Amino acid sequence: MEIDSGHPEPPNCMAMTSLAVENSSFETTAAKPATRGDLTAFLMEQTDAVGADAYMLVAVVHDQDHSDARIIASNWIYDAIQLAGQKLIATLAQSSFAASPGGMPRAIVTASAPSLEGIGGEDIKLLDVLGHSEIYALKLFVGRQRLFLLFSAASIARIDLAALIQAQFQCCYGLSRMSEVLGAAVMQDPLSDRERECLFWVSEGKTTDEVAVILGVSSNTVNSYITHAIRKFSASNRAMAVATAIRSGII
Amino acid sequence: MTRAAAQNATPASSEPRNPFGFATPGLEQHPAVTIPDAMRRCRWIAVDLNAGSFGLFFVNPSAERAHPVPCFDADYPRITNFTKFVSGESCEELTRRARVSTLPCWWSSDEGSASAANFSALSWATRIAPVGPEGSGIAFPAYAERGQCGLVIFTGNEIRLSPEQLPGIHARCFALFSAVARMQTEDSGKHPSISKRELECLKLTANGLTSEEIACRLKLSVHTANQYLTNTTQKLNAVNRMHAVAKGLRLGLIE
Repeated sequence: MEIDSGHPEPPNCMAMTSLAVENSSFETTAAKPATRGDLTAFLMEQTDAVGADAYMLVAVVHDQDHSDARIIASNWIYDAIQLAGQKLIATLAQSSFAASPGGMPRAIVTASAPSLEGIGGEDIKLLDVLGHSEIYALKLFVGRQRLFLLFSAASIARIDLAALIQAQFQCCYGLSRMSEVLGAAVMQDPLSDRERECLFWVSEGKTTDEVAVILGVSSNTVNSYITHAIRKFSASNRAMAVATAIRSGII
Repeated sequence: MTRAAAQNATPASSEPRNPFGFATPGLEQHPAVTIPDAMRRCRWIAVDLNAGSFGLFFVNPSAERAHPVPCFDADYPRITNFTKFVSGESCEELTRRARVSTLPCWWSSDEGSASAANFSALSWATRIAPVGPEGSGIAFPAYAERGQCGLVIFTGNEIRLSPEQLPGIHARCFALFSAVARMQTEDSGKHPSISKRELECLKLTANGLTSEEIACRLKLSVHTANQYLTNTTQKLNAVNRMHAVAKGLRLGLIE
């Protein structure tokens, strides 16, 4: 993918409403991201296409009592991420403003300090000062893996809605293709096939002995697979490992 | 209720499409209430694609079950031969792909057909080995909030689909599938009502706490906490706690 020749014309939000530009942007972004560097270039291209300034691709990881954002790629300045904190980012991504594919994206205007689930308006207002005046949260599905993409702009009403929906699917497709190429790099499925299988049967209410019969291995082996799965999720017991796996869409 | 309020707030929901050929998402998100309703919506997409037939399938998330499970197709309430083929034969490539990739897949056994020519112009769609007896077709993977996974498949030799239309059509498949998935969740929600306290215990169990820790956190006795969990397990028709946690999460009772 030629990163240098990627932008024959500067991103122009006025022209975004014409179909011709829409078509041409579709052609350039059809390039297939294959490495992490390509991922950054690909996401930047999408950011330009919707008329945004910044992007952030996150996976949300559930912990004991709260959810944390695991940032996969972002061009936010480091201070902004530090000040906002993972909890705020996770909340932004998961709020009712976030649009599933096929849904209508809604803008989060940070200056108006909307109060999201569990986060006060003041924290969100901080983002306005940091140059994220308008934020759109999009849910992405890369297979069954759920990721979140935040697009933000320094001024309000600059991000193009129709282009946003295009970009949402471009990213679903691009990341799917990338996960085919890169394997587990962007996925957060740490389990081996066997461990996943065991955990699935446990989630279906089977006991260790029953799983052993189903898979045709000894119950000690089953226990060791499950222990490994628990350790990989840094869970405290089976129930938590099952819950973590379901929440992240692994089983 | 909040969903309805959100839709009323979307001013564009009166017109069916915007100039990009997208269905206005506000409209598409109206929950389809019945399967015939969902089928009608699927038929609209099929008409826009000029597809001969269509079908919606559920894909089991676990690798254990390789067949797509049919939900409805063009012949609803009967099923088409193609559906029999997809759910009978092992369509492993389709299901395996749907679990890991959102890319649409297409197939064609007739190179000269209009569908094949249109599909090969789609840079985001992947070609797979022919599926079933029908000449050509395209499968759109779709996913819903509770981790459900499915395929919306259109078949026919005259399918019209340009690269610019692809995200719009796929968006409508997503909206359709999530409506159907929501319907199924509500159908299976016939278990007796679970109290707030019982849900709280279940949620803490999912977060890895033991009965003792839950009792301590909620200021209950260990016996009461255990009793709550036993009740929940029974109400969810589960065999043990792990099963109850899994069911609770999959039904969306807990987050």
